[in-house]
Amino acid sequence: MKEFSVSIANYSVRFVCESEKPVLNPGKRFSRFLSSSAAPDIIIKVSSEKYQLPENSIKVFDAPFVEERKGLRIKKSDDFWSIHKNGQDLYVKTSFPYSTHNAGALLKFSLTDRNWHLWIDSPQEETDPLEYPLDGLILYYISAIRGDILIHASGVSLAGKGFLFSGMSGTGKTTMAGLWKKAGAKIIHDDRLILRKTVTGFRMFNTPVYDYEEPVEAQVDKIFLISHGPSNIIHRLYGAQAVSRLISNCIQHSWNRDLIERLMDSVSEICRTVPVYTLAFCPDISVIEEILKND
Amino acid sequence: MTGPDDILSRSESVVTKKTGNEYVLVPVVDNIADMDSVYTLNETGTFIWEKIDGEKTVRELIKAVVEEYNTDTETATADLMEFIDEMKLFLIIK
Repeated sequence: MKEFSVSIANYSVRFVCESEKPVLNPGKRFSRFLSSSAAPDIIIKVSSEKYQLPENSIKVFDAPFVEERKGLRIKKSDDFWSIHKNGQDLYVKTSFPYSTHNAGALLKFSLTDRNWHLWIDSPQEETDPLEYPLDGLILYYISAIRGDILIHASGVSLAGKGFLFSGMSGTGKTTMAGLWKKAGAKIIHDDRLILRKTVTGFRMFNTPVYDYEEPVEAQVDKIFLISHGPSNIIHRLYGAQAVSRLISNCIQHSWNRDLIERLMDSVSEICRTVPVYTLAFCPDISVIEEILKND
Repeated sequence: MTGPDDILSRSESVVTKKTGNEYVLVPVVDNIADMDSVYTLNETGTFIWEKIDGEKTVRELIKAVVEEYNTDTETATADLMEFIDEMKLFLIIK
């Protein structure tokens, strides 16, 4: 296809290719997120021409390629993705560690302009402009620009109540989601969520990680910062403690003061309106009973 | 070694947010590996942080702590030096 739109967490992003190549072919993860919005929040023009960073651009942030296995973070390469600045223009330069055809890409974007440009270095006729890690990077900057929150968390909804379980790798997010699924809850996601403020409060949205995922969302009524423990212990956090602990689990590129301030404002707001707890838990049904007993 | 006549300023390398009587501090960093650290300041740390204005000396800050918390100079000096040591990444000392 020459263009398509996706709607993720109610952000609408349109990808457009104005030349013959490449044909745009979003991965199976996005098939249920395709939409036909007439007013996209961001328009990304895709080209397969050779790209080059402007000569005067400055690297402001970079990330090595790290794989997580059984809770261990193993650095595989220094060269993964980086953020560059040239005046008001920003650039994401990335490689594609799991790609069989895309060699690299450059995304030109801005914190104020909705027209972005993506150059993909690929010898193939077809390309997925949302291939990992571009999907997460694009979603991060769209959410950060709007002051929303992209967070390492699982989320569930049961009987109209939404519970969010946040923690870094190995703390039990997927385990927790599995327990709630067995109890009949709707699973929003087991790993990563976008949190957005609405007129009725904060809502959590899934982001496409697995093939053929459906878009789902729910209100956030309680937030738990989880860890494994010998028994179920819930402890309420307040003020700066809640904000600092929750912000530590947010995905953030902390090179830009403005983006940090937006995130701190949003996290402070959610901590003012939604109760935040630490939760050490046993991986069985008892933790659900404990949470519902205290609800 | 920080001396009594040194002047303290806040560095631009940290973003702060006051929540109640405490501060949350997020460092500005250039690498994803350095993003794990988020700091909080308790009430005393908040008092000292708010007094640091690029003009007051260490001596004047100690005096401010003595007056605010009705404590002795020795205790206030220890508190301030501990604060400077823990927050040195976010302070400019001249």
